[in-house]
Amino acid sequence: MWVMVLGDLVIFGGYFIVFMIYRSMNPTAFLAAQQHLNITIGVVNTVILLTSSWFVAQAVLCVRGGDPDRAVRLLWGGAASGVAFMVLKCYEWYREIIAGQTNSDMFYSFYYVITGVHLVHLLIGLIVLGVLVRELRTPGRGRVWMIESGATYWHMVDLLWVIIFALLYVMR
Amino acid sequence: MTNERTITWTWLALVAITLGSWWLAPAHSRGVASASIAVTCVVLGLAAIKARLIIRNFMEVRSAPGWLKLATDAWLGVLLASVLVIYLI
Repeated sequence: MWVMVLGDLVIFGGYFIVFMIYRSMNPTAFLAAQQHLNITIGVVNTVILLTSSWFVAQAVLCVRGGDPDRAVRLLWGGAASGVAFMVLKCYEWYREIIAGQTNSDMFYSFYYVITGVHLVHLLIGLIVLGVLVRELRTPGRGRVWMIESGATYWHMVDLLWVIIFALLYVMR
Repeated sequence: MTNERTITWTWLALVAITLGSWWLAPAHSRGVASASIAVTCVVLGLAAIKARLIIRNFMEVRSAPGWLKLATDAWLGVLLASVLVIYLI
């Protein structure tokens, strides 16, 4: 799992560098476009995703401690937070598109692509969490390494979002 | 090995930093937001702290082999240093 995670981190690193190069070509336009983002939605969504990571990290401890039932409940909590993030992200896109912030603007074309690719990773993460729940519910299974690997992937989604939040929403 | 307390204080620290970022964002300023090297440096510094907390405490790299600690630190360091250099030039 770590080989895949490190590979993904490098690919996203590439996106971030390309974004910064384009930003440095026209910082005033990028900053003006950034101002149209709803920072409250961005902050709430970040807290939701951090909370999902809290659930998943606790689930790993429960599996190690021999309490798979609680781990399953915690994984459901993590997945529910992930779904909440997706719903809020879709609402945010809807708001921006209605307000006329589309791909025709360079900042927003980066915004939609980067947040979109991130959302695909989150969707894969939700499938991974489903696989973990199935693993824990299957009698005789519940392999700890598998739960740890799935959790690492989920935290990567959180890690990438923290960088995206800083670069797209907060920096000036 | 990570314990419940570590996970919870990590989460609290991450949430506190995120809420603090709310005031720094350009969308928060009235009128036209102005570029600020100081704000950007603080934002990148806070992102580095958040990312490292997630890597070390949530992803449990704190108790991982040395090569993984080095690889994740190198990724974060090279990425944020490159972002800052591109921003400044």
